[in-house]
Amino acid sequence: MSEHKNKQKWAEIATKELRGKPLESLDWDTPEGIKIKPLYTAEDIEGFECVNTLPGIPPYVRGPKATMYTGRPWTIRQYAGFSTAKESNAFYRKNLAAGQKGLSIAFDLATHRGYDSDHPRVVGDIGKAGVAVDSVEDMKILFDQIPLDKMSVSMTMNGAVLPILAGYIVAAEEQGVSQDKLAGTIQNDILKEYLTRNTYIYPPTPSMRIVSDIIEYCSKNMPKYNTVSISGYHMMEAGANSVLQTAFTLADGLEYANAAIKAGLDIDTFAPRLSFFFGIGMNFFMDIAMLRAARFLWHEIISKFNPKNAKSAMLRTHCQTSGWSLTEQDPYNNIIRTTLECMSATLGGTQSLHTNSFDEAVGLPTEFSARIARNTQIVVQEESQICHVVDPMGGSYYVEALTNGIIEEARKIMDEIEKLGGMAKAIESGMPKMRIEESAARKQARIDMGKDVIVGVNKYKLKKEAALDVLEISNTVREEQIAMLEKIKAKRNSKDVEKLLKEITNCAESDGNLLEACVNASRARATVGEISDAMEKVFGRYVATTQCITGAYASEYGDDETIASIQKRTKEFMEKEGRRPRILVTKMGQDGHDRGIKVIATAYADLGFDVDISPMFQTPEEAAKMAVENDVHVVGSSSLAAGHKTLIPQLIEALKNKNAENIKVVVGGVIPPADYEFLYNAGAVGIFGPGTAITESINHVLNAIENVK
Amino acid sequence: MISKDPNCYIKGVLDRSRRILAKTITLIESSLPAHQELARGIINQLLPHTGKAVRLGITGVPGAGKSTFIESFGMFLIEKGHSVAVLAVDPSSTRGGGSILADKTRMEKLSVTPNAFIRPSPSEGTLGGVTRKTRETMLVCEAAGFDVIIVETVGVGQSETTVASMVDFFLVLMIAGAGDELQGIKKGVLEIADALAINKTDGDNIQKARMARKEYETAFHFLRPASLTWSPPVLNCSALKMTGIDEIWETVLEHRKKFFATGEFNTKRKKQSVDWMWSLIKEGLKEKFYKNPEVKKELPAIMEDVRNGSLAPTAAAGRLLSFVN
Repeated sequence: MSEHKNKQKWAEIATKELRGKPLESLDWDTPEGIKIKPLYTAEDIEGFECVNTLPGIPPYVRGPKATMYTGRPWTIRQYAGFSTAKESNAFYRKNLAAGQKGLSIAFDLATHRGYDSDHPRVVGDIGKAGVAVDSVEDMKILFDQIPLDKMSVSMTMNGAVLPILAGYIVAAEEQGVSQDKLAGTIQNDILKEYLTRNTYIYPPTPSMRIVSDIIEYCSKNMPKYNTVSISGYHMMEAGANSVLQTAFTLADGLEYANAAIKAGLDIDTFAPRLSFFFGIGMNFFMDIAMLRAARFLWHEIISKFNPKNAKSAMLRTHCQTSGWSLTEQDPYNNIIRTTLECMSATLGGTQSLHTNSFDEAVGLPTEFSARIARNTQIVVQEESQICHVVDPMGGSYYVEALTNGIIEEARKIMDEIEKLGGMAKAIESGMPKMRIEESAARKQARIDMGKDVIVGVNKYKLKKEAALDVLEISNTVREEQIAMLEKIKAKRNSKDVEKLLKEITNCAESDGNLLEACVNASRARATVGEISDAMEKVFGRYVATTQCITGAYASEYGDDETIASIQKRTKEFMEKEGRRPRILVTKMGQDGHDRGIKVIATAYADLGFDVDISPMFQTPEEAAKMAVENDVHVVGSSSLAAGHKTLIPQLIEALKNKNAENIKVVVGGVIPPADYEFLYNAGAVGIFGPGTAITESINHVLNAIENVK
Repeated sequence: MISKDPNCYIKGVLDRSRRILAKTITLIESSLPAHQELARGIINQLLPHTGKAVRLGITGVPGAGKSTFIESFGMFLIEKGHSVAVLAVDPSSTRGGGSILADKTRMEKLSVTPNAFIRPSPSEGTLGGVTRKTRETMLVCEAAGFDVIIVETVGVGQSETTVASMVDFFLVLMIAGAGDELQGIKKGVLEIADALAINKTDGDNIQKARMARKEYETAFHFLRPASLTWSPPVLNCSALKMTGIDEIWETVLEHRKKFFATGEFNTKRKKQSVDWMWSLIKEGLKEKFYKNPEVKKELPAIMEDVRNGSLAPTAAAGRLLSFVN
């Protein structure tokens, strides 16, 4: 097709409308490296492989099912879990009665990292960012009166995936449900944990073996169960743009497929049970295109294995709206953001969806905010009439061109990964993590300078923010869990348990199937911590190597007064004190979300601080030791998992005990405003919620550490 | 909490207070003359309490796994009952910005062990500074009772020679398959090595690592050893799997024993003291030069004259130096 006959004329009129600015000034370079023009026409999508295909037929750009939502809409699947199994169970049952269709379980961080609730390292984490599960007894309470042969259950678990999946299997068994009837999904996507979320336990090699053991066991015994949910969501939340998310997620998927094939499995026995999990952000059309591009690429990747079963190359995905896009400021705006993201996910053709609660940048969701979140989907699904047509965006010049753009850009990155020897090797090299962190630092700079608008944060700010209710988890959850653990340990046959745990250790050393060994131990009431330890004896515990980029924040910012004035301040500080201002950034507890500290580290260093980074998962005592030895001026602790009320006062106390009360403490992350006073009273000198410009936080920190004697 | 009373620091260091030890190092590292003056006084008083520790320098090419090695080696020493101080110089200053010091993230166990003290220092790009600061920091750590001091340096630039001139034993870490084995590392570094260890001798890498060991052994044959008592051995180790670590420590002890027996140990330390004095003099002269008000004023113009050929470099240097007289 040649150029549209009126294209020249359009350009003339458009130029006139611009009153002197050139037409090119309307072009937009996205962070993905895709150039967006102000107008797309038929000639822009000529010859693309992804255009003019049909749903349910390869390459599945328009959807894995022929009828898509016209036959059955997406599953409304809200991710939730908190406190004890009993409280979470009550919450689930209420939600199911109110129109939710599937369950998605959030576990607390202690459970993720394979610690029982009585472990000294997890005091601040029990029941906070998810439900505490220590053994099959908790699992049984969690699913009480929820028939596991009828309810599809998705479990976000990667680190302690074996004891948790084993517990679920045994809980079902004791409900009278056999394994072949179990339907649902276990996340079991360990590779992305090394990239972003850090809730791993073991090093990559044994972890990959665990993944293939689970695939093997389930393809034999649980044919309806999704064995891996290959997740890009956490990458997006860590800062990846849509091309990076697509490329890294699919590369992870390819790595799992290769591992399963290496373990001797046929592609068609496991590939149909691989599912995906994408994050949907605020670039509305981009993420619609992302889901379409991802389906195209997955078909291309799996086709190389010559599958016989069409389902093997079909990408099915769950989606979640972006938690990172939520703001603490003017938080009701988050309902609108989530609605847009919900539209983007469904126009992109997701199979199931979680919509976030508007208060999640402030704290844990309340019953009210959870209802609004659920209803966001229900309204779109049942009121907006969007479900009557398959892939309504198909044929849109713009969306088709974007789809093709993502396909091409993602292929380039996947080629790079292939050259490094696959995703596991690429992760070892640090490449994907650095790319994501660079993308995050640049995004932060664009926000801080107002280039990327966020309403209520850097534009149309409120003079006064209204108070918001949040859910608070009482610290008695830990005591309840410990009491339960004691009861279980007193009642069980400890000789049996010991023997079965030994068998897990032996299995880890040799060849057998680890999930099988864990099911046996779980049946005998071995705990999550004990089962994890039994493997740790052989595998060891993984320690992340932290690399950190420099320069990205300042370079995205460019020459700017704000930056120059801060650099001048840090320089003056240095001239007066004899050294640069020095900050220790640390994550305490089992919360592994490190986007915040990485962006802080990069930006602070760019602006003239010396920045110490602590290892992950510190106790307050350990963080204080490091602060003292490095003799920093200030400790910045980031918390996104509700542990702050326990951990921050302990840190300040530990500093005092080391005669270092003049080392200041600032806190960042998700901190409910109601807790600010508590933290200030405990001695914190600054609290920086989501949406705080880094430049603003630096000035605050400098104010706090200048003239300290 | 910068007190002006030297006794407060002296007492604190000798009492092994971590807070005071760290503060004293801050004084040493400070760019303020008043702090440096105070530090000099403190070190002078602490000097009688120093000298007993094993002083170890460790370097390696980027990617050789230095931090992981120090984590494993340090934990090995701690389990043997030693107390270990690690001084790490970080070169990662960004242009116009500060440093990111992430060493401890790779020393997860060692950094939280009570008997270990790790102090990463931003380098601020001044090599002369590394000499003075690291030496003095090492002495303060000795006075605070640490009996093994590890000075970690990056595997690029001249900092190796600097570090080698202040330690008893200089260990160079290598890995197999890091490209052309001998190209990747300067001959100069081999000349100052007291031992070379091929790290990451584990998993699929074992064969390659053993081959690399042979190659380095050959390379050492072509170098004249600095001492007749000691030909630097090449060892294999895996910091990850904790293998070969004990052998490295035994090598250090053997070197020490032999050097004590021949008297070379004392000679070396005495020579290091004299070297130290000279490096301080050089640094002091340089500082005096740059801080001279006339030099500060005239330097840019004179440099420009030299650049465009209107002034000979010899004449320019003579003129600038005359300001300091």
